[in-house]
Amino acid sequence: MAVHILGIRHHGPGSARNVKEFLERVKPDIVLVEGPPEADGLLEWVGHNELKPPVAILVYQSDDTQNGAFYPFAEFSPEWQAISYARAQKIHVRFFDLPAAHQFALEKEKREAARKEAERLQEEAQQQVEGGNGQGKTALEEEAAERPNSGSTPDAGRLPADAREQLEGNNGNGKAAIGGEPVLIGDATTNGDAETVQAVSIRRDPISYLAEAAGYPDGEKWWEHMFEHRLHSEQVFEAVMEAMQVLRETIPQPEDRMEACREAWMRKCIRQAEKEMFQNIVVICGAWHAPALKEMPSQKEDSEVLKGLPKVKIECTWIPWTFSRLGYFSGYGAGIRSPGWYNHVWKYPADDGTRWMAKVAKLFRKEGKDTSVAHVIEAIRLAEALASLRQYSKAGLAELNEATLSVLCGGEAMPMQLIQSELIVSNRIGAVPETIPKPPLQLDIEKLQKRLRLPATADWKDYTLDLRKENDLERSIFLHRLQLLEINWGAPQGSSGKGTFKEAWRLQWDPELSIEVVEKGNWGNTVAEAAEKYALHQGKEAGSLGVVCELLDKAIPAEVHGATAGLIDQINNIAAASGDVIQLMGVIPSLVSVTRYGNVRKTDGELLLGIVDSMITRICIGLPAATTGINDEVAYQLLELFGKLNDAVSLLQNSDITAQWQSTLQTIAHSQHSAPVIRGYATRLLTDYKILEGEGLIKAFSYAMSAATPADIAAAWLEGFLKGSGTILLLDQQLWNLVNNWVASIPPDVFTQVLPLLRRTFANFSQPERRKLGEKVKSGGIEQVSPVAANGDIDPVRARKGIPVILQLLGITQTTSV
Amino acid sequence: MSAILRQNAEELFAHELEELQKSDSGKRPANWKLTPTAAVTYLTGGKLKNGFEVTPKYIGNKRLMEIAVATLTTDRALLLYGLPGTAKSWVSEHLAAAISGDSAMIIQGTAGTGEEAIRYGWNYARLLAEGPSEKALVETPMMRGMKDGKIVRIEELTRIGADVQDTLITILSEKTLPVPELNIAVQAVKGFNVIATANNRDKGVNELSSALKRRFNTVILPVPDSIEEEIDIVKRRVESFEKVMELPAEKPALQEIRRIVTIFRELRNGVTLDGKTKIKVPSGTLSTAEAISVVNSGLAMAAYFGDGQLKATDLAAGIIGSVVKDPVQDKLVWQEYLETVVKLREEWKDIYRACREL
Repeated sequence: MAVHILGIRHHGPGSARNVKEFLERVKPDIVLVEGPPEADGLLEWVGHNELKPPVAILVYQSDDTQNGAFYPFAEFSPEWQAISYARAQKIHVRFFDLPAAHQFALEKEKREAARKEAERLQEEAQQQVEGGNGQGKTALEEEAAERPNSGSTPDAGRLPADAREQLEGNNGNGKAAIGGEPVLIGDATTNGDAETVQAVSIRRDPISYLAEAAGYPDGEKWWEHMFEHRLHSEQVFEAVMEAMQVLRETIPQPEDRMEACREAWMRKCIRQAEKEMFQNIVVICGAWHAPALKEMPSQKEDSEVLKGLPKVKIECTWIPWTFSRLGYFSGYGAGIRSPGWYNHVWKYPADDGTRWMAKVAKLFRKEGKDTSVAHVIEAIRLAEALASLRQYSKAGLAELNEATLSVLCGGEAMPMQLIQSELIVSNRIGAVPETIPKPPLQLDIEKLQKRLRLPATADWKDYTLDLRKENDLERSIFLHRLQLLEINWGAPQGSSGKGTFKEAWRLQWDPELSIEVVEKGNWGNTVAEAAEKYALHQGKEAGSLGVVCELLDKAIPAEVHGATAGLIDQINNIAAASGDVIQLMGVIPSLVSVTRYGNVRKTDGELLLGIVDSMITRICIGLPAATTGINDEVAYQLLELFGKLNDAVSLLQNSDITAQWQSTLQTIAHSQHSAPVIRGYATRLLTDYKILEGEGLIKAFSYAMSAATPADIAAAWLEGFLKGSGTILLLDQQLWNLVNNWVASIPPDVFTQVLPLLRRTFANFSQPERRKLGEKVKSGGIEQVSPVAANGDIDPVRARKGIPVILQLLGITQTTSV
Repeated sequence: MSAILRQNAEELFAHELEELQKSDSGKRPANWKLTPTAAVTYLTGGKLKNGFEVTPKYIGNKRLMEIAVATLTTDRALLLYGLPGTAKSWVSEHLAAAISGDSAMIIQGTAGTGEEAIRYGWNYARLLAEGPSEKALVETPMMRGMKDGKIVRIEELTRIGADVQDTLITILSEKTLPVPELNIAVQAVKGFNVIATANNRDKGVNELSSALKRRFNTVILPVPDSIEEEIDIVKRRVESFEKVMELPAEKPALQEIRRIVTIFRELRNGVTLDGKTKIKVPSGTLSTAEAISVVNSGLAMAAYFGDGQLKATDLAAGIIGSVVKDPVQDKLVWQEYLETVVKLREEWKDIYRACREL
């Protein structure tokens, strides 16, 4: 019986190759791979021709889906190779890491402990302040300064653990490592504050000690040259094991329960396999763990460690993953920097850079940059010279990049970015068979993606939808529903002036959306159902009218009728309870504009009209009171809403509503207590409606402008009345005289007082309006007759020829011939 | 000390080169005095196995020097690009010294550089007296470099007219220099290569033809990344000048160097170091090299006219001289900087006063 322990680097193409060769040579009867045992059932899918890496196993807590972890695999991951080998040879393969059920539970405990600790410290600080005299404050400050450190005391054991994670988790640069090391979502989002930041700054990659000893600048490079670029795997695993053994002995390891449990569990699994009489066992694990599995402590000791572990309920599935998610810079701070390059190295292990350079040249040519074969030759030669100068056996990515920069780009760094995104990262998305058991919502989304021909891609793609077309309308509804579910796959883009029937979207699938899909799965098994229920739920949670209206705004294009109706009800309820007229006024315009979608989206606006109707009624009742006793700031805010509401009322073209609105305006215009600027504006609107005309208008105007009215109030009224346009002054001589006389009668000291108000009023008029007003003032109130009219030089014969056309334009049928 | 004003790199650092050669055990390319690795060490500095300390000649990214040396091991020529004063010629001199032990094979590119300066000329007296013969040929550094297998340097390649530049194509690609008058050709010996320098600022003067460009690997030398790096460069260079010029003044205080580098960096980048105030940028390049010469002239002033200690008054003239290149525009820029930035800095009072007085 033999147990072979292979310490690897996750996502190392060299490690992957070594593992593959080793397995082919040793021919084991069981392979144990680092990963969550809950996902054992998923392993049978490996080898299915529709499961194409990069893919990831998504593990999540069933009752708290926010808590999840991804175990990504690329083709060049050693784990993937091991599993594939086992599947192809039809031998047993198992995951043997500590079950995610326990890991999540442990993480949770740790988080809670950290939180409690922080709370306790805060309390302490609080107490110190309370009980403190003059020094209390400084004590608090000190405590606060300390808190980032002390807050992480429960995590103190985590620093080296993180360091270890780096080691096993590949290149020693990330937080949570990829591959066997799960990317913990909960950890990154809920707990990733000051402590994590601090952990990052303090920790040091243990491999860097080895690298330093070997004279390399960083651990990753050393590992790459020592293990990944090797073409022959003899004894490489023994070497790794020994190196790690020494490291584990040299670097002090504080207690970390999670790590201890994980290694104990791994050993337990190995014992189990031995018990099951497997003769040739191969174990694939992160390099760091390898020594811990070699020397087995007594079974009892391990069971002691594993006793009474907390547990949560776990589910898992395969999801597609992307290269950029494996990538170094995509937010995790973990992973590998150059998945595209690794893929290349995996596919062409013997490539000396020629094939890579050819790819670079092809890319450059595609982008219209002249690149000759001679360039490629020279670049390879330079890369080789660099490699030999640095005493590497082979040119790596750094050498090839430097050669590209110097030879192909003439030293300019700009084109290198192209290589970075197109080749070095070379983003792509994996695929998962449809038949894999998945959350039903996920299935529904995939079905719709297929039917509507909206493939999920790793790179963004723009779509412009024409809502008059059946398919495009469905796409739009689908995307709007996902938006409602907060699955932000598509981002709406502003479509410029193409009318309401066009919609522009930018779609980019992010593997992390999968977790959202799982989470939203609680709400329903289809997109429509989930969107409806989720929107309703959110509507109920929301307290303010604004939020519900926003939801409604989203729900209407998503055509979730149940939700729409429910949200309208909700609005009605809140509106009834709300005394805040301003809030009500704020939402009306958007509701009214939503009804405009009616024709294109085939949405029934009737439902909405009802609510709008009742809301306007409420506004009309409450508004006169709301305009009294307010300060200038609120008055101007209200003035804006007034205008919008008026537009909305005009847009509705409902005579009842209009009549109601007009009578409200009347009330406000004649009220003594309303803010003057609003009164003025209400009068103006009445004039626009032609309700107040001629004598009535003059009366209202002179009343407002009369000498008894304080000048500042009169000026505010005038501002409200003349809001936006002063044409009325030009046209109505009487009004003009009123204003003119009023201005003339203001005593000098008051004049300086109202001048800013007046200036504000008139400054908003258009340029020609202001000019004409000025001219009118200059000419003493009599508007000059336009010079064209004064010009008597008209040829009556020629003028007459135009008359029929004008008549026709005006729609008057010509009865008598000229 | 010898009477020579400025010694060549290989003479000035003869001791270092010797030590490097001694401890250098690797395989050398033909006709190289050092292995590529040792050449890089010579440029970037470091400690040898026997404990000998090699001073850094180029302070900055080591990778750039590696690319430069690696390029010269292939048959491609090296083109050093960069703003004026980014140590292009300095690097090229030291590369030549390290590789061939001879940095004197130099052709200065000017608008008037003709083909005969690059290929070969004739000794007309001999030509008339004896007719065309090899004896009547006047060899250029290029021809000698080819015959001896040495590095040839071309300074300011882009200043040379395009037609003359292109005579390099045959030399660089076929490594041969035909002399049709005599029906012979000089074929380059192993170890021959060309280092050219060119200026980013006026690359438009005579842009390289793409055929010629293709024969060069380009390395762009950047302005120093950080202020610390720049201060280090200025300090080292000033100290080495002091030695050469035998100035009686005291060593410049780091403080003064820091101030000058700060002024130069701020004006070059158009923003104060703290990133808060925007500054107009003068027309000059304000390179590190100029900062060095300001400190040097300040030292000379202090030594011969002052009390031997570098003071703000000694530096003021130099600073203004290098900032104000255009008497109208740059003067305004400088005054604005003086009043809005220098004046406000408490500890810069002396330099403000000194500059105002001028």
